[in-house]
Amino acid sequence: MTMFIDMMQALILLLAAPLVVGIIKKTKARLQNRRGPGIQQLYFDILKFLAKDSVESPTVSWIFRVTPYIYFAAAVSAAALLPVWLNGSGLVNNLLVFIYTLAIGRFFLVLASLDAGSAFGGMGGSREMYISVLVEPVLLLAMLTVAVRSGSTNLFAMAGTAMQESFSLSYFFAACAFFIVMLAESGRIPVDNPDTHLELTMIHEGMVLEYSGRPLGLIFWAVALKQLILILLFVLLFIPWPLAGVVTPWVQVLSIVVKVLLVAVALAVAETITNKMRLFKVPNFMALSGLLSLLALAAQ
Amino acid sequence: MLAVDWYYLMLVLFTLGGLSVFFGGKHPGKINYVAHGLAALGCLATVLCAIFVLWQGTLELTLPLSLPFGVMTARVDSLAAFFLLLIGVGGLAASVYAMGYSKEYYGGRYGLLTGLFNVFLLSMVLVITASHVAAFVIAWEVMSVVSFLLVNFEYEKLANTRAAFVYIVMTHVGTIFIISAFLLLATAAGSMDFAQFDGSILPAATRNIVFLCAFVGFGAKAGMIPLHIWLPQAHPVAPSHISALMSGVMIKTAIYGMCRFFLEFLGTGPVWWGGLILAIAILSCVLGVLYALMETDLKRLLAYSSVENIGIMLLGIGSGMVFMSKGEPLMAGLAWVAVLYHCFNHAVFKSLLFMGAGAVLHSTHTKDIERLGGLIKRMPYTALFFLVGAATIAALPPLNGFISEWLTFQALFLLPQAMTGVAPKLAGTVLIALLGLTGALAAACFVKAFGIAFLAKPRSAKAENAQEVSAVMLAPMAGLALLCVLLGVWPQGMITLISMVLADFPGLNVDAMLTTNWYSVAFNASNAGGLSMPFVIGLLLISVVVAVALSYLYGKPRIVTGETWTCGIVPNSHMQYTATGFSGPIRRIFHSVLRPQRETIVDEIETNHYFGRRLSYQVAITYVFTDMVYRPINRTILGMARFMKTIQAGSLQLYIGYIMAVTVLVLIWNAGW
Repeated sequence: MTMFIDMMQALILLLAAPLVVGIIKKTKARLQNRRGPGIQQLYFDILKFLAKDSVESPTVSWIFRVTPYIYFAAAVSAAALLPVWLNGSGLVNNLLVFIYTLAIGRFFLVLASLDAGSAFGGMGGSREMYISVLVEPVLLLAMLTVAVRSGSTNLFAMAGTAMQESFSLSYFFAACAFFIVMLAESGRIPVDNPDTHLELTMIHEGMVLEYSGRPLGLIFWAVALKQLILILLFVLLFIPWPLAGVVTPWVQVLSIVVKVLLVAVALAVAETITNKMRLFKVPNFMALSGLLSLLALAAQ
Repeated sequence: MLAVDWYYLMLVLFTLGGLSVFFGGKHPGKINYVAHGLAALGCLATVLCAIFVLWQGTLELTLPLSLPFGVMTARVDSLAAFFLLLIGVGGLAASVYAMGYSKEYYGGRYGLLTGLFNVFLLSMVLVITASHVAAFVIAWEVMSVVSFLLVNFEYEKLANTRAAFVYIVMTHVGTIFIISAFLLLATAAGSMDFAQFDGSILPAATRNIVFLCAFVGFGAKAGMIPLHIWLPQAHPVAPSHISALMSGVMIKTAIYGMCRFFLEFLGTGPVWWGGLILAIAILSCVLGVLYALMETDLKRLLAYSSVENIGIMLLGIGSGMVFMSKGEPLMAGLAWVAVLYHCFNHAVFKSLLFMGAGAVLHSTHTKDIERLGGLIKRMPYTALFFLVGAATIAALPPLNGFISEWLTFQALFLLPQAMTGVAPKLAGTVLIALLGLTGALAAACFVKAFGIAFLAKPRSAKAENAQEVSAVMLAPMAGLALLCVLLGVWPQGMITLISMVLADFPGLNVDAMLTTNWYSVAFNASNAGGLSMPFVIGLLLISVVVAVALSYLYGKPRIVTGETWTCGIVPNSHMQYTATGFSGPIRRIFHSVLRPQRETIVDEIETNHYFGRRLSYQVAITYVFTDMVYRPINRTILGMARFMKTIQAGSLQLYIGYIMAVTVLVLIWNAGW
């Protein structure tokens, strides 16, 4: 039964994910004085991709073929683990299961990027692993600020604790730290540029360069879902207001939707006012996040 | 049959197998199957012996062998049985694999290889089961010397001999410490029997010395940093089935020794014991995996990753000891379960990976991943099994590496709760982040190893002409890969077994590990929450079905073949990313630790200046501990030897003069001046 609810949650998030991407793109466009595509554009793109044939290099092996499914499945499973319905039981929705489920997708996508034998793929894959090496410890630290307080690595327990706490400075530091990690992990400016195919800068786009048609559609959708997952996690753990008990569960869900939209707009603003960072400046950026987390932990 | 029968049977089988030493190179085909068959049967007997002991209780026996130090005794308690199980499983796979792999070594010394293989297994079994100092030390020495001989088996190559000598020196330095630790305990107890040892009667200072000696001694065998330098040299040069046994099984005997000392002999110690272990552990983790990531020799990469995994086990041991000193038996139980689980897992997946590397070496005759590539099409089964090993060592669910990493994470997570004060709490949290870093680096390392060696186009003729290895080599890899999946999908069985093993030790309590329902592992103390692999697998499977359904949304997918896009040039293997290039960004951010030295050689003769230049690019990294610790020691010893040389000039007259001088001095001394 728990599994059914979690799966339904994942499917709802899956359906909502392209919309959030659309909102971010639209906001960015407006901020840059462009009209930009409609917010439903990614739905059209994905549907079109899902109807198309795909081209495959003779060099590739079955790894390349199964990767889109695994990448997609990893993102959907991670979405199912999120503690959105706070009254769910979720004994097993563990933080580390969540992080390592996302890691499955990355592991296979990087392998697939090497499979076609082009330099672009390898470049993207190499950079992706580099970013993940920087992000992983900092992401853990940021999440630990909440986990240590709740004494549990269970996502439900963590979200529950967040809902009980009132605002504190420690929380603010932790939230900033997580926001930085979120930018890096979802491949946005200033770490990666999701809108470019320029080989000097691309990370994610480099890895999926050889994909086309249905597999590419699945990957696009999974990336959108991953973005939504991270925003949701940020919302659930670091913007818990209105606190539990004050309002009914339905108002709670509604407030989550509103907060997700606000964070999406904040992401668009953050992307517009910053520049893409040099690849080897990213460690400093991540160190900033790590430092904020440590401050948050020390302040507790 | 009873446990004792299986015990004797296994000793007999290994000894019989050991007799093949005397056959030399005659009838290699027969020796191969007979000796390795005996080894395999012996390992089966080992497994059965372990199962019987776990079922029936501790087995104690006195060997009909009397030494000046007293009667030899062997005791197989549940802890020993657990390690026997590990040796049995790893050894069985290695023995079957050896039947195919060792054919490369047919020749004059073949009997020696098979015989020593058996003696090696025998010595490890004896190390685990000996319960008397003399018996333990003898077995330990036999194990070290036999493995030295096996590392040095191809002594014609200078590199092998050097590696073997580094190994024998380091392992003996370790042995000195182990013997010291034992003798201190034995003097206090007045007996050499393990059963009489009791650390709590020792004065605090002596107890600390025993602890340090045991930690350093076994740490040298385990390959923890900074005593690891032998491991990445010795493990890669041994024949691959021996490498699998050494990395997968032999270094676990050191973990066994630590368990004996820290759980049984020494009793609960001060907090700094655990703290010291944690510090060394995290160093081993991060540096080990960083060196592994920089490596392009497939077997040396695996050896460095063993250093990392020993670090993960030590993280569990260290946190377990902190919990024991802080009087948190439930948390200590969790930490020690994590240690033993990871110990078993590492035996399984590291053996698997070394066998995979051996298969690659067998069919391409190179270990250099820069010369490999495209093997997934030429060696599909090896590739699949290696991928399982790579995914499990990168701790991806639902494989077994994830379970033990999860348990270790949980143990570390509880660490700040057991500590008091801001700094220790923060240190505990930073350990988790560093373990996360280790995990990410391990993933990068094995993505590189698999992606460069097995995917894309072959980078050399050797890789081009590779062929799948024989079924007798694939079967043990398949078995181990299956075990990786089973231990990941259903961890409850293994956790119950380990809980049984640990139940009797003082200072820890494993009751919180036992679960009430079949589908989840719960840690019931505090609200740490649980882990349910069937749940995770269910989610993944349903999601895969959704993904496949989506791609069939508009009918059956059609695939058109088109060449990889390389900006209009016909793609070739030189355009592919190399292993060195892949790890480049990470090398760059860790440059202060790795201190890479780059050298680019441009060949401009007779080639167009702008296009088609021959470039060669080399990167060498610096190993901090080799440079900072071992080189100075080396230099000092050599300097002292040079100084001694002037005294020891080789002239007889001078020596007679020395004797005279000493005699005169002694006479004067005695005269009482």
